[in-house]
Amino acid sequence: MPAGHGLRSRTRDSFSRPFRKRGYIPLTTYLRTFKVGDYVDVKVNGAVHKGMPHKFYHGRTGRVWNVTKRAVGVEMNKQVGGRIIRKRIHVRIEHVIPSRCTEELRLRKKKNDELKAAAKARGEVISTKRQPEGPKPGFMVEGATLETVTPIPYDVTNDLKGGY
Amino acid sequence: MAFAKAQKTRAYFKRFQVKYKRRRDGKTDYRARIRLINQDKNKYNTPKYRFVVRFTNKDVVAQIISSTIAGDNVMAAAYSHELPRYGLEVGLTNYAAAYCTGLLLARRVLKMLEMDQEYEGNVEATGEDYSVEPTDRRPFRALLDVGLVRTTTGNRVFGALKGALDGGLDIPHSEKRFAGFSKDSKQLDAEVHRKYLYAGHVANYMRILQEDEPEKYQTHFSEYLKRGIGPDEVDELYKKVHAAIRADPTAKKTGKPAPKEQKRHNPKRLTYDVRRNKLIDRLKALNSAADEDEDDE
Repeated sequence: MPAGHGLRSRTRDSFSRPFRKRGYIPLTTYLRTFKVGDYVDVKVNGAVHKGMPHKFYHGRTGRVWNVTKRAVGVEMNKQVGGRIIRKRIHVRIEHVIPSRCTEELRLRKKKNDELKAAAKARGEVISTKRQPEGPKPGFMVEGATLETVTPIPYDVTNDLKGGY
Repeated sequence: MAFAKAQKTRAYFKRFQVKYKRRRDGKTDYRARIRLINQDKNKYNTPKYRFVVRFTNKDVVAQIISSTIAGDNVMAAAYSHELPRYGLEVGLTNYAAAYCTGLLLARRVLKMLEMDQEYEGNVEATGEDYSVEPTDRRPFRALLDVGLVRTTTGNRVFGALKGALDGGLDIPHSEKRFAGFSKDSKQLDAEVHRKYLYAGHVANYMRILQEDEPEKYQTHFSEYLKRGIGPDEVDELYKKVHAAIRADPTAKKTGKPAPKEQKRHNPKRLTYDVRRNKLIDRLKALNSAADEDEDDE
């Protein structure tokens, strides 16, 4: 029998619920709010059959472009043939998690603003740019003893194993 | 030596998935809760209020609650143990008391939101189906949350619902489950419902007992008799209580000061050092006991 390429083909593991987490889904998923422009991760919840995205979008991150009664519209990129298309899908709340991809940026922006304000108050100019990790600094090796290793002349009797 | 093969093996426990805590306690119906809390996403942070009614053995609890990720927020609450303040001291868990509690909660919430002048509600409780008419400002809307109660016709939960409706809240409902709804004629008999709202059914039972079993009447309704409430005074009593509730629904703060330390309901977690020291002590004790055994032998 041929393999079959239905909508949910090859999703046996990715759409299944994790070990010992089946049944009702926790209420926070329903209490979260999403605004247009937020970044969200699409993660399919196999327990809810309505509003499921296609398996391609499982694990993708996109921006919210529409908010409806029980779903959000997410737009993300998909490579089709030789080009990348911006796709817009609607996904129910249960299959969407707020993304943490911008979290680091937001925190850094806040911290930098604080640092800059503090520096301005003191009257100095600081650079808040991130620097890449440079080469490690040099150090002296402690407690080293010198052991000179020299080759020993070949002895036939050493190599023979067992009886000779 | 077991008689039969052990049913619950280690493998059973390893794979067992516990239900949610509140489900194990038998207190929350999550299927209903999801549907009550779910707010339309295009309404963003607008709270969705639930009119929660719960009965204990001696009390009726009515609350208006909205939900957040951090937990549920109780906006206002009314208990039937507050009704002595308004003149009702006995029968605090019957249909009429539930009506009074619902009414008290509704008036309290409206007063809190300064809508009580606008939405008087149904001042004279007639038992007919009454829905709030929206004026300039839209009425306060809540959804009835019955919990795990079986919603049969004439349940006290709907008594509390009627109280809240007559108080001026907008709660979507149907008259099908009010006491006095007849399944055959598919109509609410307002007279019968009114009887229940004023504890007419209790008064009837009092009359029956008075005639047939006077001793049982004395024991069963001893608290009523102590306060001089007979079957004919019941109606008047509830009228006064309704009026008193409408006059002053504000909650009274108890005189107790807040305790300095919060009471703990579960044992506090031990730190790593404390746990390690406990282990060392236990091992020492074991070793000394083993040494004693060796010495004995």
